[in-house]
Amino acid sequence: MRSARFSEIEAKVRADARLDERDALALFEEPDLLALGALANEVRERLHGDRAYFNRNVRLEVTNVCVASCNFCSFARLEDGAPGSVTLTVPQAIEALRRKIDPAEPPTEVHVVNGLHPGLPFSYYEELLRALRAEFPYAHRKCFTAVEIHFFARHYGMSHREVLERLIAAGLESLPGGGAEVFAPEVRQRIAHDKATADEWLAVHREAHALGMMTNATLLYGHIETFAHRVDHLLRLRALQDEAIAAGRGRFQAFIPLAFHPDGNGMQALPGTTGVDDLRTLAVSRLVLDNFDHLKAYWVSSTPKVAQIGLSFGADDVDGTIVGETIYTAANKKAPDGLTVDELVRLVREAGRVPVERDTLYRVVREHPRAALEGQFKVRERRQGKHLAVVDVVHPEGSS
Amino acid sequence: MIRVAGVGFLNAAPLMVGLADDPGVELFLGPPSEVARRLSEGECDVALLPVAAAATLGEIDLLDVGIVARGPVRSVIVASTSPLEAVERLALDASSRTSVVLARLELAARGSHAAAAGRVVACSPHEVVAAIAEPGVGGVIIGDPALEVEGRFPHLLDLGQAWVQRTGKPFVFAAWAARRGAFTDAIIARLRRAAEEGLAAREALANAYAKQRGEPAARFVSYLRDAISNTIDDAAEEGLRRFLREAADAKLLPPPDVRVLRRADAARPPRPTVDALLLRAAEGGRLSAAEGLRLYQEASLFDLGLAADEARRRHDAPDVVTYIVDRNVNYTNVCTTSCRFCAFYRPVGHEGGYVLSREVLGRKLQEVVDAGGVQILLQGGLNPALRIEWYEDLLRWIKATYGLGLHALSPEEILHLAQLEDLDVATVLRRLHAAGLDSVPGGGAEILVDRVRRAIAKAKCTSAEWLGVMRTAHRLGLRSSGTMMYGTVDTAEERIAHLIKLRDLQDETGGFTAFFCWDFQYERGTRIAPGDHGSVLYLRTQAIARLMLDNVAHVGASWVTQGPDVGQVALRFGADDWGSVMFEENVVSSAGTTFRMDAARIEDLVHRAGYRVVRRNVRYEHLGTPA
Repeated sequence: MRSARFSEIEAKVRADARLDERDALALFEEPDLLALGALANEVRERLHGDRAYFNRNVRLEVTNVCVASCNFCSFARLEDGAPGSVTLTVPQAIEALRRKIDPAEPPTEVHVVNGLHPGLPFSYYEELLRALRAEFPYAHRKCFTAVEIHFFARHYGMSHREVLERLIAAGLESLPGGGAEVFAPEVRQRIAHDKATADEWLAVHREAHALGMMTNATLLYGHIETFAHRVDHLLRLRALQDEAIAAGRGRFQAFIPLAFHPDGNGMQALPGTTGVDDLRTLAVSRLVLDNFDHLKAYWVSSTPKVAQIGLSFGADDVDGTIVGETIYTAANKKAPDGLTVDELVRLVREAGRVPVERDTLYRVVREHPRAALEGQFKVRERRQGKHLAVVDVVHPEGSS
Repeated sequence: MIRVAGVGFLNAAPLMVGLADDPGVELFLGPPSEVARRLSEGECDVALLPVAAAATLGEIDLLDVGIVARGPVRSVIVASTSPLEAVERLALDASSRTSVVLARLELAARGSHAAAAGRVVACSPHEVVAAIAEPGVGGVIIGDPALEVEGRFPHLLDLGQAWVQRTGKPFVFAAWAARRGAFTDAIIARLRRAAEEGLAAREALANAYAKQRGEPAARFVSYLRDAISNTIDDAAEEGLRRFLREAADAKLLPPPDVRVLRRADAARPPRPTVDALLLRAAEGGRLSAAEGLRLYQEASLFDLGLAADEARRRHDAPDVVTYIVDRNVNYTNVCTTSCRFCAFYRPVGHEGGYVLSREVLGRKLQEVVDAGGVQILLQGGLNPALRIEWYEDLLRWIKATYGLGLHALSPEEILHLAQLEDLDVATVLRRLHAAGLDSVPGGGAEILVDRVRRAIAKAKCTSAEWLGVMRTAHRLGLRSSGTMMYGTVDTAEERIAHLIKLRDLQDETGGFTAFFCWDFQYERGTRIAPGDHGSVLYLRTQAIARLMLDNVAHVGASWVTQGPDVGQVALRFGADDWGSVMFEENVVSSAGTTFRMDAARIEDLVHRAGYRVVRRNVRYEHLGTPA
């Protein structure tokens, strides 16, 4: 079943040696999905034990007007005033968020991403951040993808650094990982030809890291890209993370593979991803991105059920409550709209992990007791090589 | 109060008599299989447990007091009109697995093929006696009925005698048993004292028994005095261990994990490691209930999956996943059971109740035929307005008009019909079979533990009734699927007990083609809170089922409840079948789960999981690769 090549790679992983491009490609092609998952799980448990993170976050998209014409997008409307296009004023945006927020469960993060609107002044974004800071001081502001930052720089005639500095002054705290799509130019040209290139996307994150900011990174997989393109993408991220760690300021916190959903967009003839592909991509990402702390099984893109299994295939985070998500919703996502904290805690526990609520910077907000479900997961044995390393006994009443 | 389950046969009477009047004991007497069920499901503390059940449950302590044969026992026999080496098929009374296993070992040792899989038919005791009128059939007869047929058949094998002659060791049929560590000194003292009293009362017991039957007492006296002893000494324990080892080697029982408490300091046998259990299961070896529970709870997700995948490869073409083109038709939603988990049913007289007309049915069936379908799954509520003739007409009409395979009427519906028509189950099944029924769907099994059934579906049949319908169906040549719906009030232990019951029946009949499990789909309209759930638990449950059900050929992935993505992943966790292209599935979809797929999408998913895809019929015969 498992290939001979896999055993070599397994030995490298256990010796803490870095995987190269050929290794990564071989992992994507490994027929034994469970052997691959078990290896990724070993690394995941070495880093995080049985913990699985989530946060309380709320989404805001202030505009879906966008000058870019990405084939995979079901969200953006190209022109202001086109049917279905929406652009909120700052007070409208604050009001929209207020409506989404349950005061009994206030979010620790507000996540803002938008279309590339050609008609708004830069001050609009500064005002938005200031208003968010004033209205929701308890919520970390993780706003604007690198594609937006790059668009602002071009559109308003500033450098990346200037844009970031002005937004930070207005209240920006970290960058989400969106807009990375697939870096390889032959793919990016075909799916997202008129927005930030790979180098530009990476340059924005490099600059953000230099300014001490934490950021995330994504990959949009499961459309026209090949495994080689995915590997190229992971290796570029890993290289930039090496730089960031060496510089010792900001860096990537989490990598989030995003499954392409072929509904209501320019690539709807494609079949989309499957559960096996979703898990494989998580596992390979965990093994290749050895300098990333966190890997997210983003339940909105993969469905909660696949995300649960993902927590055993390398992922240590399921993202958050995600109140008010609209982007995957526009592509007819298979997942429900938003989850409560209780639902997320249950989702994690059902997956045999210990739920840990975090803030955006992965500081612990609350450790939830393990509270074993009836009859499940009494003792966990971990396989290492031929030997079983013991053992982590779970007490039904609380954390071990 | 100690809850004790004992056996009502004469041979056990000396052990029981001293307990009957003990105010500290709540004594239940029943057939050995019921005694085993009680201990398995926690309904008693101590049981006079058949040794096969002790091995099947695992992690059992036995007291050195039981039913031991040191020569001919007369009450456990194989009878036939043909010489034993010419016995080709076995009719047997499944109420004692120990005797059944012993019969299979002794016949195999004598060169008979009857012990081989598929040559065993299970019957009630009086049916066994009728079946052995036929040449080539051997009947295993147990307990008091065996004493009744003494001298009536030309070829008779006394299984106690056969064992003792072949091995030179006594044979232990049953012993006082409890879960590991549960015997207290007080209980042990009580059971020993009762055994001593009973020993002294043997003659009186035999006399009373003879009087009750109006027969001479002498042979019963000699039976109790000479044929049976109650002490498990060194030689008997050696005999016990040899029997369990031979049965495990023949894959009739799991390797024994029992300890005999002959001295106070009896050491616990070493526990096999989780790895050793995984290896055994992957290689097709048998797991006890205790071992299955350990793997289910303790093995890592990956180790369970890898072992289940290996076990799956032993059963099937390793690179093939099958599916069937069929349709689930719920012919009526009127139902009298009102199960708490069901959002589909309507009570009798409710305005939302329906019975599908021939016209509507015909349209649905024609669509199945047009789509290349080969079967329909026909199930419905328990509607008292529909009589057996209605079903017979319906099945005949479908068969004649559309030529579709009929996977129809779950055990609950069969029992309902039997009751409605005042017929026995075999008659109902025989009539439906004659009208075209091909197989009986495994729906309504839920969890085959009565504690759970009482909590979620009070009006439904007991687990024994459900299994009884399947046993009868299999004997008539019908096939069926086995199912399990977990995730209500059930515990992990109860899920394992469920799997053991299916496996035991499969040992008898070989009639289950496949196993499917899913978790309860909670939705408004049902009146029960969800219990254990989630995709990881689904994968673990499916994998442990693949490992426990070593005698069932196929395991299906429940994509209808888990979604296509998890269904696809489940193919790596022991499943080799994708179930069906479902046109509709009213019961699950009224509870909110509405995954739907066409054949092209199924084939794409299966291919992308790394398998070939082949269509099948209801008997899991391959129909060729679709174009």
